[in-house]
Amino acid sequence: METTQAFSSEFYTALLPELMLFAGLLALIIIPNLGKGTFRIPGTQIRLPWFMGGERYALTSNPHLPAWIATITLTGAFLAVGDSLRGGIDSLLVMSSDADEAKELLMINGFSRVFELIFFGALALASFASMNRLKVEGIGAKLDVEKLYNNRRQADFYILMLTCGLGMSVVALAQDLFVLFIGLELASFSTYVLVAFLKETKAGAEAGMKYFIVGSVASGVGLYGLSMLYLWAGSLQFDVLAATFATSGTEPLPLIGIGFVLVGFGFKVSAAPFHFAAPDAYAGASSPVAGVLATASKAMGMVGLIRMLLIVAAPESSEGSAVWLVCLGALAALTMTWGNLAALGSTNPKRMLAYSSVAHAGYMLAGLTAVGAWTWDPSFAGQEGEAALMVLTALLFHMVVLVAFKLGAFLVLSILESDGDASRLSSLGGLAKREPLLAFGMFIFMISLAGVPPMAGFLSKLMVIMGIVNVGVGTGAESLSDFHWVWWLALLMVLNSAVSVFYYLRVAVVMFFDAPEEGREGPLPSGWQVRTSIFACVLVTILVGIFGDSILEMCRSAAESLTTNW
Amino acid sequence: MAGSTLSEIATPEITELAPLIVLLPMIAFAVILFLGRVFNGNPTWKNTVKEGGIIALGVMGAVLVLSLLLIADFIGSVQAGHDSVFHWFTSGVWDGTSAGVSTDKFGFGLYVDHITVMLLFVAAFLCLLINVFSIGYMNTDPINDNRNHRFYAEFTLFCSGMLGMVLADSFLWLFIFWEIMGLCSYLLIGFYYERPSAAYAAKKAFLTTRVGDVFLMIGLVMLWDLFGSLDYTVVFDSANIEHVAEHSAGTLQWALGLMFIGAVGKSAQFPLHVWLPDAMEGPTPVSALIHAATMVNAGLYLVARMFPFFGAEALHGDLADLAYIIAVVGGITAVMAAAIAFVQMDLKKVLAYSTMSQLAYIFTGLGCALYLANTLDWHHNEKDHYIVIVAFGAALFHLFNHAMAKGMLFMASGSVIHEVHHAHHHLHHHDDHGDGHGDDHHDEEFDAQSMENMGGLASKMPITATAMLVGSASIMGLPLIGGFWSKEGIIANAWRVAQDDPRFLLPAMCVLIGAGMTGFYMSRMWLKTFAGKPNNEVAAHVGPTNIWIKTPLFILTFVSLSSVFLAGMGFTHWAPDENYAFMQEKSLVDGIIYEMQHAFANSDAYFFIITYIAIAMGAVAGPGLAMALYGGKLEDGESAKPWMTPVISLNAWVMNRFNFDNSAFAESTLAVALQNRLYIDHYYDMAMVKIVAGLSNKVAQADSDVIDGTIKTIETGSQSLSTAVRSLTTGSARDYILMVAVGMLAIFMLVWGVA
Repeated sequence: METTQAFSSEFYTALLPELMLFAGLLALIIIPNLGKGTFRIPGTQIRLPWFMGGERYALTSNPHLPAWIATITLTGAFLAVGDSLRGGIDSLLVMSSDADEAKELLMINGFSRVFELIFFGALALASFASMNRLKVEGIGAKLDVEKLYNNRRQADFYILMLTCGLGMSVVALAQDLFVLFIGLELASFSTYVLVAFLKETKAGAEAGMKYFIVGSVASGVGLYGLSMLYLWAGSLQFDVLAATFATSGTEPLPLIGIGFVLVGFGFKVSAAPFHFAAPDAYAGASSPVAGVLATASKAMGMVGLIRMLLIVAAPESSEGSAVWLVCLGALAALTMTWGNLAALGSTNPKRMLAYSSVAHAGYMLAGLTAVGAWTWDPSFAGQEGEAALMVLTALLFHMVVLVAFKLGAFLVLSILESDGDASRLSSLGGLAKREPLLAFGMFIFMISLAGVPPMAGFLSKLMVIMGIVNVGVGTGAESLSDFHWVWWLALLMVLNSAVSVFYYLRVAVVMFFDAPEEGREGPLPSGWQVRTSIFACVLVTILVGIFGDSILEMCRSAAESLTTNW
Repeated sequence: MAGSTLSEIATPEITELAPLIVLLPMIAFAVILFLGRVFNGNPTWKNTVKEGGIIALGVMGAVLVLSLLLIADFIGSVQAGHDSVFHWFTSGVWDGTSAGVSTDKFGFGLYVDHITVMLLFVAAFLCLLINVFSIGYMNTDPINDNRNHRFYAEFTLFCSGMLGMVLADSFLWLFIFWEIMGLCSYLLIGFYYERPSAAYAAKKAFLTTRVGDVFLMIGLVMLWDLFGSLDYTVVFDSANIEHVAEHSAGTLQWALGLMFIGAVGKSAQFPLHVWLPDAMEGPTPVSALIHAATMVNAGLYLVARMFPFFGAEALHGDLADLAYIIAVVGGITAVMAAAIAFVQMDLKKVLAYSTMSQLAYIFTGLGCALYLANTLDWHHNEKDHYIVIVAFGAALFHLFNHAMAKGMLFMASGSVIHEVHHAHHHLHHHDDHGDGHGDDHHDEEFDAQSMENMGGLASKMPITATAMLVGSASIMGLPLIGGFWSKEGIIANAWRVAQDDPRFLLPAMCVLIGAGMTGFYMSRMWLKTFAGKPNNEVAAHVGPTNIWIKTPLFILTFVSLSSVFLAGMGFTHWAPDENYAFMQEKSLVDGIIYEMQHAFANSDAYFFIITYIAIAMGAVAGPGLAMALYGGKLEDGESAKPWMTPVISLNAWVMNRFNFDNSAFAESTLAVALQNRLYIDHYYDMAMVKIVAGLSNKVAQADSDVIDGTIKTIETGSQSLSTAVRSLTTGSARDYILMVAVGMLAIFMLVWGVA
């Protein structure tokens, strides 16, 4: 592992994607303000042009511009991350200075890169698709105030998209609780505002408010937990915390701290019972934003949990880790069951997808439990880490491909929203007649979410289940009573998957067999950007399911790069 | 085959594309179904794309090209003396060595040998032609409007099933594709599901073949138990066979015997033959598809696939009884089906029974070949080797000839029915075809499939009549045409085996008598349809048919006529023998001369006599009797094409000279029994109603009470749970925070408790 200091040349090379985001952010703030503005030297009549404010140029006043800047920036960052992953990257540790007692700040390795890939990919697709959702109403023509207002706030929306991405990638990179928290809050605050962005609609404002309040409480609890850890170890550094945990991890203070952190991140991944605001938020937000919440934001929560639980709170064979293992297992079981049961009766497709996202969080938590169980449960001591590595690979893979079919499903709903409404199941009625390709895409997303082969969702779910089973069976178990208890999580997951097929396929039934709602028989609103994004998602969903080897390989090396620290 | 080396095919490009032969039709199935649902009623979809017909056509064309490439490639690599196995994909599912989960392999590959190649060609070629025919047949009938996409989708899936079954590299995949075909036959036979008779026929076909399939499945399980695998590479490996032969040759015979029952069901042999005549309820292209190109050949293919077991040295003589059973089932069916065909008035039903009878010939041929392979020392004795190969080749060649001829006959009959029906419409309604009044070919008062409504059509439908003539001649085995070469081979081999083992006198007599019976019922069918005077006004107004229908008839006529060249090229040698150097041992002319000598001037007096008896029965006695009874001159002023005129004149002459009254026979008990299909269906139905239906009612009761009850409980239970769970989502942020607090406290308590 190489090390470098903040603001060295290596630092800038390695953080190219984040720098691109930063540059994009500046461009978004500056460019729309460029104009024929002048500056009068006080006391004189001389006016110096300084190009800010005043009457805007044609290009800079174009309301489409912010969307394009954001999309290009995010795509660029996505490609930069992809490029660095392709070459196979060495871990790079960023220290606060070159002094001996310097603190570890950021870690750039395969693991963090995969998460950056998820964040930027999801955000790029969402901002590209938002061009059709957040309508621009003609340029320069006579507009009523509301429409003009829509054009004016384009920049705000995309600035938030970029800050959100920046915050998320900081969480993925952080090696220090303070840095982690900063990133977390940057991303969280951006999402709060994004959820409430459609504040004219009652649902939007209310959803944003609720999401903010509940989120703040969860963040507060999480922060309280972090402060407990600091109180106990005297440091915010991951490596210091891990070392302290190894020696005295059974004390109540750090365990309660970890428990509170679990609450904070539990809200982010929308684990039950901290998920309550999520369905409201998804339903109130515009669909692309809801898609980001369900994919990128959730991945951010997962990376936080993985860091906190696997790196900090889980030194080898410490008995203390068994405690959070039980918490996590209970949380996983509760979350997946709750999510699926609630989705079963949901008649609002966005809420249904939100609950499905809760269920998926449950699956991921179950996987995480299995990783912990294999690696640190004393009963497995001395055995190879292969099974844990496999579950971790599966988890990463699941989060990567989830971007395609979860976000894709939200994007389809976003077109329906532009058409008027997507809050009833019947809004999807007759989609196969109105736009067959869109219905086909939605169908692909649904069966992938349900886990039908050969879609990507099948592969990822299968791998998670198989991984948990491998862990549960262990090497020596011959009868059911010898199995580790995580095995039951796999069983629960299979049962839950069976239940979930019902509500996923109900969408297909409505699309293909029901008639459109009254007055909605006509063609759907146009917009090639959102359709291109959906097409990309369909392509990934199908192709990764069949030719997923390279992505699987990438996730595996990412998982390995995390575990080298073990 | 036995002891051969298995290797990759020489050029990988073709083999990598070869899976497309199976996949393309399967994709076309989904595409046509989807597009058909979406664009139903759209004029472009209907007129230009023919409701999916053109898509299917393109796919089947591509499949034929790929198949031909694969076959050419195979013939090329065979010069080096190899069979070929190509593993398209194999994946170890979860290498669980580190965590104690068992590892298994799952994959799909291609197994290409001579039998594969031959059946692949038959299936791909006929599917394409039938597809062309379908466009002319299905799309011109108003009753099919807006639902042809269903036909084409199921059609392509069916083709995919057949092609996949032929190419599969294990009995497991064979079974999977076998069942896909079973499903499609159900769907296609019941295409006019609104008609109770069609729905009944579909159900009957499905259930009858299912009886066989259950046995096939048990047989496969037993085979797996013996070999630990169903891959051809494993089960055909001579070392493995030797190992099994040591301990459990008897069990192997049972396993193969049960698999044979599956073949009996699929190929409609006695006693599982009852579904085939009823299957004529499907549209005519389906009849052609099922009874010529695909489904019925599947059973034959399965039996032919068993050859390596019978040919294995280690099992010498152990499987002779099974070979005998195969031959006997064939022999009995051949005579029984031919007898029933005597009295059928429905054009397609005659052909259906004819199919049954001809397949029975092939079974007899296979049974004899398998018997020879199992009892002769053919690995070391050159003469015995020749005998086995030629016997097996004759059966395969008959499969080829029959498929071509029967495909053609069904399409020709379809053409007749189509035109008779249109003529009927034209006459009785005098308005547009598109009036929606037509109930396909089954108007209450008028049956377009009945030969009562035909007669004298030779002058009106020259191409169809010619095709029918050539096809009938091929089935009858008129010297030099089509099936002659193979049928003589089957009969001769049956008698050859009868020399060794007197038990085989039964099937040998059956096939010999069957030859005469075939001559009778096929001639009867042609004469009643095309010769004589029109039986009624409708038949007098039939017109020629459209180009889509004519083209395949024309091509297949040509193929059936050129069978002599295939025989000359030594089809019966290279089709069953992997070591035979194709087209290198003899030139074409030498080959034809050799086959002629063999057929007409056999040096062995025994076979010489048998051959001439068979020719006398099939080409003179049978047709002669039919000519004396049916047909006659055409209507005055009408004239057939020059090549049909002699037939009609001969017919008229024979009728004048030898006519007799057969009404006494027509009213005899036997004739009535034949009319009623020997009451077999009747007894089956009774058994069904009495035993099976009673049992199923009980099971259905238990199903609705216990199983459905449980499911219903789960369903209502989870719905109410869902409501309960969602009712916690009150919409108030205060409650949400309360829940967060509850969760936090729970974690706190848990940690506190443990710590």
